[in-house]
Amino acid sequence: MILLDTREEDHPIPLERAVEAFKKLRGEEVIHMIHRREPIPLFEIITNNKGRYKSTMDETGIWHILITRSDTVDLESIDV
Amino acid sequence: MYSGLSLDQAPPISVVTRFFLTVPIFGLALCGLILVNPQAVLTPNHPFSLAVIHLFMLGVITMSMIGALFQMQSVLGGRPIPSAQGNAFLIHLFLLIGIASLSSAFILNSPPLFIVASLFLGAGILHSANLILPLLFGGGIHDTLRGMRLALISLFITAVLGIIMASEYANASFSGFHEAIRTSHYSLGLVGWIGTLIIAVAFQVIEMFYVTVAYSAWCKRNAFRIIAAALLLKIIWLFGALPLAWMFDLVIAALLIGFATTTANRLNMRKRRVSDVSIWFWFFGIGLLVVSILFYGVFEVSGYPPALSASLIAFALFALSVILGMIGKIVPFLVWFHLNSAGYMDAPIMSNIIPQTRAKYLFALTVLTAFLALEGVILPDAFALAAITGGGMFALLLFNLMNALRLYRHTLTHGKRFEQM
Repeated sequence: MILLDTREEDHPIPLERAVEAFKKLRGEEVIHMIHRREPIPLFEIITNNKGRYKSTMDETGIWHILITRSDTVDLESIDV
Repeated sequence: MYSGLSLDQAPPISVVTRFFLTVPIFGLALCGLILVNPQAVLTPNHPFSLAVIHLFMLGVITMSMIGALFQMQSVLGGRPIPSAQGNAFLIHLFLLIGIASLSSAFILNSPPLFIVASLFLGAGILHSANLILPLLFGGGIHDTLRGMRLALISLFITAVLGIIMASEYANASFSGFHEAIRTSHYSLGLVGWIGTLIIAVAFQVIEMFYVTVAYSAWCKRNAFRIIAAALLLKIIWLFGALPLAWMFDLVIAALLIGFATTTANRLNMRKRRVSDVSIWFWFFGIGLLVVSILFYGVFEVSGYPPALSASLIAFALFALSVILGMIGKIVPFLVWFHLNSAGYMDAPIMSNIIPQTRAKYLFALTVLTAFLALEGVILPDAFALAAITGGGMFALLLFNLMNALRLYRHTLTHGKRFEQM
């Protein structure tokens, strides 16, 4: 799991870091992005480039986004 | 798995950039008019003055705000604008013809041009409101959407009142309500459309872009209700020729001062002190907003006409400053987003699309133009100088936009696709 904590970073750094990390994903690697907002534009980039994601908000209002390029990794089974 | 928000909502890049690219063209045109006759532009109700005011409020401010709305609606509204490309083309074309006709109509005192302007501006604005407003109702709702609703309704009524006045100018026949219509027209345009949309955008982007403390829920919930109520009552008071209509200006002024100080505090207390020119534009803009309100207060108390001119100039430059800061954020984002979304993974990073150095030059020219324009209320020569620095500012904006699009096209042609990496 590649941890990407962007909660304290100004726009557009979180999006740029997430896309950079997505580019480097190999095999069954998964990025766990933690952000203060749901990064909607990122999702379009991921899905348009054959990636998958799972986006959930925890009870404190923080968003956890799991990103992978693997077809086999079950994102639903990963707890964050 | 997904959050309920549909994907593939972003409109094509040309939908937004066609509006933004026109902004500096109208900006250069209005600077040219000021340079030709600065004294006439400073004379209230002079045809040159009315032409320049409408070139600025429609050609620069409204053009950029409608362009931004096409992008904002898809991201914040969660429901994309249908046939965005075709509708953007049509609305942009109507606005283009309408704004050029209206400004020419004032300068040439031409009744047929007032009719052409009414038709095209009316069609462009009414179609924009008709297209976007229904999307803001019925779905999920948050404070920024409430602000966008009020802004679009205000723009709609501003346009209707504008059409009535244009027909009065075309027929050279003015009704007994002309003054009430005129005051309602500019109150709704300045506060209801421009001020409200900027506040709505601030509620969303100040916290999101600059990692600040959020605006208070009370403030976000009630700001637009207060503006709507104050504007509605002011219009009733104006048409009823009732006394003490200035009370509603006082309420709006208090709210705008509250917004300005709250925003400045939020930006001052931001968690990360990253240098970003867009923050300077926000600070400068809200400073000008306060200056505008102070000059308006001076005018209300003293009746001194140059104070009203200074108030209007400061308000226009407040909006321009915020818009320039936001264009500097939106355009690099759009270029980066569309390239990455299309699989061009060696797309330039956002800070290289409009480099900070050029953004700083743009800010310096904005500051210089604002100081000279405000000084110009007393000294027309300074106003002419403001037209020159303003021309430089709009020329640099045009260069920045064209260069960003050149980078976009260059990457589309020569960039490496994701599957090649």
